[in-house]
Amino acid sequence: MIWVSLWIIGSTMSAIEIRELSKSFGPVRAVDGVSFTVEAGTITGYLGPNGAGKTTTLRSLLGLVTADSGSALVNGRRYVELDHPLTEVGAVLEATNFHPGRTAYDHLRVLCTAARLPLTRARDALERVGLAEVAGKRVLGFSMGMRQRLALATALIGDPKVYILDEPANGLDPAGIQWLRGFMRFLAHEQGAAVLVSSHVLAEVEQTVDNVVIIAKGRLVRQGTLAELVSNGGAPVIRVRTAKPDELRPALERQGAEVELADGVLRVRNLGVEAIGAVALEERVVLTEMTEERGDLQQVFLQLTGEGQG
Amino acid sequence: MALIRAELLKVATTRLWWVMLLVMLAYVAIPLGFAVFSAGTTGANGQVIIPARDTAAFQELVWGMGTGGSLFAAVLGVVMMTGEYRYQTITTTLLVTPKRVRVVAAKLAASLVVGVLLGLAALLLTGVTLLVTVLAAGGEPVLTGTVARVAASVLVVLALYALFGLGLGALIKNQIGALLAVIIWIYIVDSVINLVPVLQPLARWTPGGATSALTSTGVTFGIDMSYLLPPWAGGLVLLGYGLLFSALASATTLRRDIT
Repeated sequence: MIWVSLWIIGSTMSAIEIRELSKSFGPVRAVDGVSFTVEAGTITGYLGPNGAGKTTTLRSLLGLVTADSGSALVNGRRYVELDHPLTEVGAVLEATNFHPGRTAYDHLRVLCTAARLPLTRARDALERVGLAEVAGKRVLGFSMGMRQRLALATALIGDPKVYILDEPANGLDPAGIQWLRGFMRFLAHEQGAAVLVSSHVLAEVEQTVDNVVIIAKGRLVRQGTLAELVSNGGAPVIRVRTAKPDELRPALERQGAEVELADGVLRVRNLGVEAIGAVALEERVVLTEMTEERGDLQQVFLQLTGEGQG
Repeated sequence: MALIRAELLKVATTRLWWVMLLVMLAYVAIPLGFAVFSAGTTGANGQVIIPARDTAAFQELVWGMGTGGSLFAAVLGVVMMTGEYRYQTITTTLLVTPKRVRVVAAKLAASLVVGVLLGLAALLLTGVTLLVTVLAAGGEPVLTGTVARVAASVLVVLALYALFGLGLGALIKNQIGALLAVIIWIYIVDSVINLVPVLQPLARWTPGGATSALTSTGVTFGIDMSYLLPPWAGGLVLLGYGLLFSALASATTLRRDIT
């Protein structure tokens, strides 16, 4: 019986579950009734401008800040109740979380000792983030990017299945960002981990995340898949290029499409790619391009977070 | 235990501890040298100010001089706590051990260990100095009850001062602020209270006064020390401060939001 109920709990529980979380600092309501979940095997982008309440949410989730109300659970429990938190949750908060006089290896050695993990984990983690060669160097001489990698190593040390990354791309060079994206995909899509990554720059996570949660001024303004967010900017538009746009246009319109012609390119709404192809075949018109136009995600983001024009 | 080892590892993997150790030994060497070279000083009426090198009283006096290192133990204690805030490693520490009461307990225990280790180093310096001096003077090393009490007191005092520093650092997170507070308290406030006769009824209750009581040997350098508590009471007062500072470290660290 107990195994059955454990299985039911295990199969229905989200890796991260935030419910009606609120936290004020003095008169400032930093987080105001935020709820969302993150499932195993997915990457969720937690987006919002600086000061929107992202860090406060994450710090409440990690037991560093005490919420005024609501709950924030990891694997169904409060973080402070976890007996071996590093083996369940890996977190990267600021890049400055190191004593400059301590070496990279010593920093991880302290963590392994406190978490009762074998010291071999320290070397392994440094290798995974590409810092093995500077293991014995004091953090003092580390670049921002190296510190970020070391922070990631601290998250990896317990080999957890939930990752909470607060602005991990800060200070990384383009190559580092590329590497980080690949790394997050590997963790979520190949290792089945749940990844919650915050950012104030949409473009940083746009290509990586499966789901987005958008927060502004402490309040959650939108959550869903990336595709849903884009389509919310309007119906998808398909760009159709052909040598004979004037022949194709009336045929498309007869099928109920809304078409506009600009610079010799047809922009088609209300008709899918397949239907457009069928019409073209029927009309014996050669298509030279057919692309789904992405809604301007950045624009959507700016509007939702109230950072847009105005 | 793992957490105490981790806290000690934090101290051992940075450089400050051996700087503090060397400075402390140099600082303890000053009164040691003074005692050795001025041994046998008497006052105008022939009363003993510093006993002669071949007496047991001389050895009893000198064994207590390691308490001069208390400031450095307190500084290490301050840094063990404020360093976490200064470099924001407190975040990582609490991510590893979110049950904060365990972190505070481990830090308190580690500060006592650090203080005892400094005390042992001070006693080693004292012992070597005494051995050379006493043998050269034709005496021989003695182990009286007072010697044992005074030497043990050095360990207790340095351990507790490290803990005081830790508690103060938990209260005043700013490292420079906490260091200034500890220096002003030990060097200025406590000294003044213990030197101004009017304040002496108060002075016996200060950590400095309690330390003097714990290590008193009847040698007074010609100063009236009668205001001090008996050694055992001095020990209790110090222990009381230890509990006070432990409570301070707990009350501040357990509740604070780490942003």
